[in-house]
Amino acid sequence: MSPSAIRRPRPSPIADDGDQLRFCSTCAFSDACLSQGFDKNSLNDLHVLVEHVGPVREGEHIFREGDEFTAIAAVRAGTVKTYVIDPSGHEQVLGFFLPGEVIGLNAISQSRYPCNAIALDTVMLCRFSFPKMALLATRLPGLQAQLFKLLSQDIGKAALLAGDYSADERMAAFLVALSRRYAQRGFSATRFHLTMARTDMANYLRLAPETVSRVLRRFQDEGMVLVERRELEIRDPARLNELARMVLRD
Amino acid sequence: MTAMTAIPPFDADLLRRYDRPGPRYTSYPTAPQFTPAFGGAAFRDVARMSNGDPIPRRLSLYVHVPFCFSPCFYCGCNRVITRDHNRAAIYLDRLVREIGMVAPLFDRDRDVIQLHLGGGTPNFLDAGQLGELMETLHRHFHFSDAANRDISIELDPRCISANDIDALAFMGFNRASLGVQDFDPAVQAAVNRIQSVEETLAVLEACRRNRFRSINIDLIYGLPGQNRAGFGRTLDTVVAARPDRLAIYSYAHLPQMFRAQKQIDEALLPSAEDKLGLLQLAIEKLTQAGYVYIGMDHFALPGDELSTALENGTLHRNFMGYTTHAESDLIGFGVSAISHIGDSYSQNPRDLPSWEDAIDAGHLPVWRGMAMDADDVLRADLIQQLMCRGVIDIAALEERHNIHFLAYFEDDLRRLLPLAADGLVEVDEQQVSATERGRLLLRIIAACFDRYLHQPASEPARFSKAI
Repeated sequence: MSPSAIRRPRPSPIADDGDQLRFCSTCAFSDACLSQGFDKNSLNDLHVLVEHVGPVREGEHIFREGDEFTAIAAVRAGTVKTYVIDPSGHEQVLGFFLPGEVIGLNAISQSRYPCNAIALDTVMLCRFSFPKMALLATRLPGLQAQLFKLLSQDIGKAALLAGDYSADERMAAFLVALSRRYAQRGFSATRFHLTMARTDMANYLRLAPETVSRVLRRFQDEGMVLVERRELEIRDPARLNELARMVLRD
Repeated sequence: MTAMTAIPPFDADLLRRYDRPGPRYTSYPTAPQFTPAFGGAAFRDVARMSNGDPIPRRLSLYVHVPFCFSPCFYCGCNRVITRDHNRAAIYLDRLVREIGMVAPLFDRDRDVIQLHLGGGTPNFLDAGQLGELMETLHRHFHFSDAANRDISIELDPRCISANDIDALAFMGFNRASLGVQDFDPAVQAAVNRIQSVEETLAVLEACRRNRFRSINIDLIYGLPGQNRAGFGRTLDTVVAARPDRLAIYSYAHLPQMFRAQKQIDEALLPSAEDKLGLLQLAIEKLTQAGYVYIGMDHFALPGDELSTALENGTLHRNFMGYTTHAESDLIGFGVSAISHIGDSYSQNPRDLPSWEDAIDAGHLPVWRGMAMDADDVLRADLIQQLMCRGVIDIAALEERHNIHFLAYFEDDLRRLLPLAADGLVEVDEQQVSATERGRLLLRIIAACFDRYLHQPASEPARFSKAI
């Protein structure tokens, strides 16, 4: 018996790929389209080019700051990190994008991408030509609403961690937000793989890498989480939520 | 778990039947699986990856000192025989450079929880040189302040003074392992290792005076000229000295692999039957003296941390043997040293010139290694459970590795059937457990789960016999 045959299925953050007729399970737009009575077939009829891209390997860029903006892309599998290099040459992590989430939205107001996007592991994408998407949105109010929603979420995400919060609150908010985002796409809310390196996490949370580990170790000692290498299990969601409440403005 | 701490009963018939070659599983997969495709670049990658964990593992360090003043004929270790003490300074100089190259690959906030100096003879370096080595390590790594950190060294009692031990304690060493093998003068002559009881006990006393947390003594059974009377006296002497830990290794006569062993007169080697008798004698005497069986070749006093760890299920095993420290990343320095970073193994060149050339060229001296796949990680976990607890908890393993145990290990469990029939192991729906009879043969049980031993077409590796 081959080992692969006897691995148990475990919900993993890899999107279920769609086909000619079905949307990918994590598609950011399928609900909006379907609710308007457009299935994938009718989208094809509208010549909305949906282009599957990838695999993009770990460490490869998807776009770079200043590249001409032509498309937004939904992550189908893997994790994408966006970042900028500040004037003193330091990297600043802007965000992490999980399966089902859309990158490039912050370029919409400009003609060029305002940041870099890099694959943290093996990434698969779904690219939408933005002009065509915008055109389609004028005919599908639901799609337009969905685009606005994604845009406002993207802006909110960046503002979230800018406040004057403690390291504990930042870390808790980060974990709770990840948990909710995974849950939204049908993955486990309490067990997930942290694809970002400690330095990326620290950079994003504006903490020192040592602080990330120290806080997580304390969370672990207090029974809130269990960390084994890159695997994270949330053991006390209630307490973690409570810590995250201020940051997430629940 | 109370039954677990007792020394398992001796069963001559069983041990005779299972006296066959097999790996010792200080690692899984074992070193013969390492390949040169895994080199310096791969080492940098796994080090970087290991720093990226949200809580990076703590570090264990191993430093190999290959030199010995004279050859013990039984030895299968990687060593260089010389009386030229200048070689120590030259070697140390390169070690310092290696540490300087490797240490920056690991984040500074990763505490060192364990350091072990092995050989060869680590005390081939004099106290001043060992001090320089320690100073270098402390400059490049942050050592844990935890009370249970282990700073240990293998000592040849024939070439160390009480003053040296004071110096070692001052440098932070808190554990020592003394090589003895056998005090019987006839055996000592046959293996070219003349060492008196007095000088050995003096070193042990000096370690105690310096409040070392534990002292280990190594003995070997199956040596040329060894008999029950002589080995019995050795055991009585050693047990009376009450070392915290005892290792009783089986002598593996593999002269094709270890050239020094060609000097051993095979006519003097005890028969398989006599060798078993020596093991039985050791087990009887250690049982009477109240020692606890830790696993494989290791015994400890009931109050020792290893015994406590065995009892509460926190025992671990790595290249340095049994330890109380949970998973850490191991960095090996010096010729032939092995590293275990994340899910990878890597090894420095086994011959001194190759290691020296790499250091002199400013390269990481990684000779070979391997990146473990998911199956390797699963089997390593399983074998670790077996070696440290004598039990595989099926549900826990299924949960950790996302498998159906019975289906995944169908072939392995079939290999286990004859062992089960012999009463070495019991399998039910909850667990696979070594019986009391089977605990002296853990490596035979573990070997059933070794994928590489049961691959056709692969060249059989040479391992020493189980007993």
